[in-house]
Amino acid sequence: MSHRLSRLVATTAAALVLAACGSDQKPASPAPGSSDSTAPVTLTFWGTYGNGGNRTQTDVLQKSLIPAFEAANPGVSVDYVDVPYDSFLQKLETSASGGQLPDLIRADLGWVPRFADDGALEPLDTAMPNFQKFADKTYPGSLATNKWEDHYYGLPLDTNTRVLISNPEALAKAGLSKPPKTIEELVAAGPKLAEQNVSVFADSGLQTWNVLPWIWSGGGSLTDEKLTTATGYLDSPETVAAVQMLVDLYQQQAIPNLITGNKGGTPTSDGLPKGSYATILDGPWMAGVWSGQYPDFEPTYSPMPEGKGGSISVVGGENIVLTAESPNKDAALKFIEFTQGEQFQLEMAATGQMPSVVGLGDAAAKKYPELAPFAEQLKTARSRPAVPDGSKIDTILNDALTQAFTGKASVKDALTEAAKQIDPLLSPSS
Amino acid sequence: MTVLDRPPVRASAPVPRTAARARRPRGAGLTPWLFLAPGMILFLAAIIYPMMQAFQMSLYDWKVLKGLSSEFLGFDNYRRAFDDPIFWRALVNSGVYMAITVPIQVVLGLLVAILLNRKAPARALFRVLFYLPVVTSWVVVSLMFKYLFADNGVINWALRDVTGLTDGNISWLGDRWTAMAAISVLGIWKGVGWSMMIFLAALQGVPRDLEESAAVDGAGALARFRAVTLPAIFPALAFVVVMLVIGGFNVFTSVLVMTDGGPAQQTQVLLTYMYQLAFADGEYGYGAAMAVLLTIAVFIISILQLRAFRGRMGSAT
Amino acid sequence: MSALVTGSRAGTAARWGLLAVGSIVMVLPFLYMLSTSFKEQTFVLTIPPQFIPQPATLQNYRDAWGTQGFPRYFLNSLVVTVLSTAGSLLISSMMAYAFARFRFRGREVLFRVLLIGLMVPTMMLIIPQFLLAKYLGLLDSMAGLVVFYIAGSLSLNTFLLRGFFAEIPAELEQAMEMDGAGPVRRFFQLILPLSRPALATATIFSFLANWDEFAWALTIITTPEKNTLPVAINLFHGQNSTLWGLVFAASVIAIIPVIVIFLAFQRHFVQGLTSGAVKG
Repeated sequence: MSHRLSRLVATTAAALVLAACGSDQKPASPAPGSSDSTAPVTLTFWGTYGNGGNRTQTDVLQKSLIPAFEAANPGVSVDYVDVPYDSFLQKLETSASGGQLPDLIRADLGWVPRFADDGALEPLDTAMPNFQKFADKTYPGSLATNKWEDHYYGLPLDTNTRVLISNPEALAKAGLSKPPKTIEELVAAGPKLAEQNVSVFADSGLQTWNVLPWIWSGGGSLTDEKLTTATGYLDSPETVAAVQMLVDLYQQQAIPNLITGNKGGTPTSDGLPKGSYATILDGPWMAGVWSGQYPDFEPTYSPMPEGKGGSISVVGGENIVLTAESPNKDAALKFIEFTQGEQFQLEMAATGQMPSVVGLGDAAAKKYPELAPFAEQLKTARSRPAVPDGSKIDTILNDALTQAFTGKASVKDALTEAAKQIDPLLSPSS
Repeated sequence: MTVLDRPPVRASAPVPRTAARARRPRGAGLTPWLFLAPGMILFLAAIIYPMMQAFQMSLYDWKVLKGLSSEFLGFDNYRRAFDDPIFWRALVNSGVYMAITVPIQVVLGLLVAILLNRKAPARALFRVLFYLPVVTSWVVVSLMFKYLFADNGVINWALRDVTGLTDGNISWLGDRWTAMAAISVLGIWKGVGWSMMIFLAALQGVPRDLEESAAVDGAGALARFRAVTLPAIFPALAFVVVMLVIGGFNVFTSVLVMTDGGPAQQTQVLLTYMYQLAFADGEYGYGAAMAVLLTIAVFIISILQLRAFRGRMGSAT
Repeated sequence: MSALVTGSRAGTAARWGLLAVGSIVMVLPFLYMLSTSFKEQTFVLTIPPQFIPQPATLQNYRDAWGTQGFPRYFLNSLVVTVLSTAGSLLISSMMAYAFARFRFRGREVLFRVLLIGLMVPTMMLIIPQFLLAKYLGLLDSMAGLVVFYIAGSLSLNTFLLRGFFAEIPAELEQAMEMDGAGPVRRFFQLILPLSRPALATATIFSFLANWDEFAWALTIITTPEKNTLPVAINLFHGQNSTLWGLVFAASVIAIIPVIVIFLAFQRHFVQGLTSGAVKG
């Protein structure tokens, strides 16, 4: 009797497990795109506007822009969810695996190919009837980051770049009354400042976003223009020389080991206002971070120091994308349209998110003079390679350069090895 | 590691005799099954089934997203681990963490327990203070130690400006070994109270009269400790060591919070690497292979330790 | 060492001196955290360090409690912890009752299977459990936390309680049975009331483990409003910039219940560890 029972229990348990695994997880949700315009809809929108304790951006979004959108679209409400930048990519990856993505994502422009390749995003050029109208108004360089294979999966939301931000008092310690104009000037100030325990430059990583301005301005490059190979480019003499310049500064202790991943180092957002660092490269949103935490700090903004290749920085920015699993596509498309309008673009510009819409860029630069250095830098700035494995390239580059900085490998060897690892990630997987 | 885990020593012990006394002459019938059902079903579904699935996943390039198919790889994921320098580094780091934290926790825990094994008014207070880190969340204590070990943190200040032991700044979290040292210090600080508590309980069971008679015989304190105390608390010692070793394999939150495996993957331990593979890189199959390897390692090491301790216990009594 | 153990006056002094130094090492980080929670960002990580906040500010607490949603996270942690602790206690004690007081075929085998749960650290199962939670629709939900917290604590609690239940004299149960009490009544009216100390111990350990759990919540919760305290606190801490005052204000809020519970029930900790780990 009990033998039979034990078998019964075992089979019941097994059946339950199987049933559990077989069932699809989501309760029947309305078919995509079928959302009735009268039924109330809540859109979930994930982004990183509050990064680093930046309240000016989240305030504008949540107190002004979203209410304006909701007033214009009765029945649609938007739930903006702020995700810290550091954990955002992992959160997206996990959520994509779990089928838990929101309707809309403000995605770093390097991430679109990756999630498009996974099938997690809805191609906007087919989903949005008037896509072309909006696309034509945006900067071509920004728009291009939304393309993966034959489709566009998003629209540019904002654009930005990094310029040199200096602490004038710290620079004065090296006798500089103005920020260094050239890389040479910056290098020359290094030892003088190091003597007084000030780092001439600081950064918090060695990924493409961090080092490409130095490589490009030094005349080097990461890959060929068609993104087919890194070998011959990442290990070219120009690239090696540009990186060697940074490594030399690092070894003179003119660049702190924050750059090689010391998690105990002083963050750039604290080190610059406190005068531990003389210069950093960063974006227009930093003013919003400092206004809360260091209200008395008055930084100087100047172009990326010039080298053999000119003064070339890196294009940053975010795109807005619609997820494939969103049950509220109609409402979501309305919100995407709203983000391309004057109100959204200009109000975000006031907080340091530069417009991605051509006409509005100039208007914003006029209205907010603090954006001017960034608008100027953008004219020559270049984009990082748009490939699905962009974040893997970042990891490879970061790890290889860390070896070079810490003296475990020569710059040439580290870059040659990194180029070899990056090559297979470049040619499209198909 | 949970605050309290039970000694696997007893895991294989037979069900106590008292249970047999409770045997019901008519046969238990359905009743025990009804009492067991909710728990057993949940346990089989949420613990045993995932264990088996982990093994299955480890044989595939397991895809989670809709519309992507998983490719059967056989043991390729395991082979990949053997050629993966980061896996080996993570293994070494986990081993180093264990080698540092386990002995020190045992010795310090035992020392504090011996010091506290005396009736005295402040005893309860000390017990509470030493146990406080044990009950505090790993996230909170990890943040605390990240703050203490920052470049401009109190540890550097104390070493340089107070004691003068070092002249420059040490970037504790910026180098593999100093970072592992900081993580290990946290592990010890958080764990000493736990082993202290176990030893304290074990010491209550040491027969006072035996100790006293040994003292009358003129045995020194150390000799008494070895002759009387150590054998009496040996089961507790075995338990503590086994649990701490399992806990050492389990180190995760402190590394994630303090270094996130960096700089450049230098401080990855097995679990942080496994977690990153699965949940950041989408390599579920490879991550599962790592979990399987780790589970097997935990089993083997626990069993070997138990054997060793049992052997010693046998010869000691 | 010999002086310490023999208890001479000098020995006693050295003993308490050592203990005092040790406990200061244990407590200082907590005090420094408390002090930092009252600092503005400008005064964080300065050299030399500032031990007494000057100026002291309550802004971090206002931010944590007011604008950053901490009441919500606190409530989430409380709900999840209470439900999973209560659920685990009920289910575990039922299992323990069956294992301790009945003979049936497969008992030994099942019990051993259950004990596997003690050997396997829960983190090892996080990948397949994540997929299981996905199939069950339990991702991003409190239910997903509760179900897996209960499952993860079954082995330990059942083991602990079974030992205790088995010690209850069989005569008591037989007497009740003579009076016509069925197993359910015996379980609720005899076994559970007599086992209060063991239940208290299991409750406290489960409560703390669930309150502090991080990895699983980090993995399955995506909506910030559903975060529990450890996850929410960790989110305040960025790799590149951390508002330490805010982080520690939130941490202080999170550990207060733990300390209160620990102080109130510390007797049970000692009992739990004594009766469990070492006896026999």
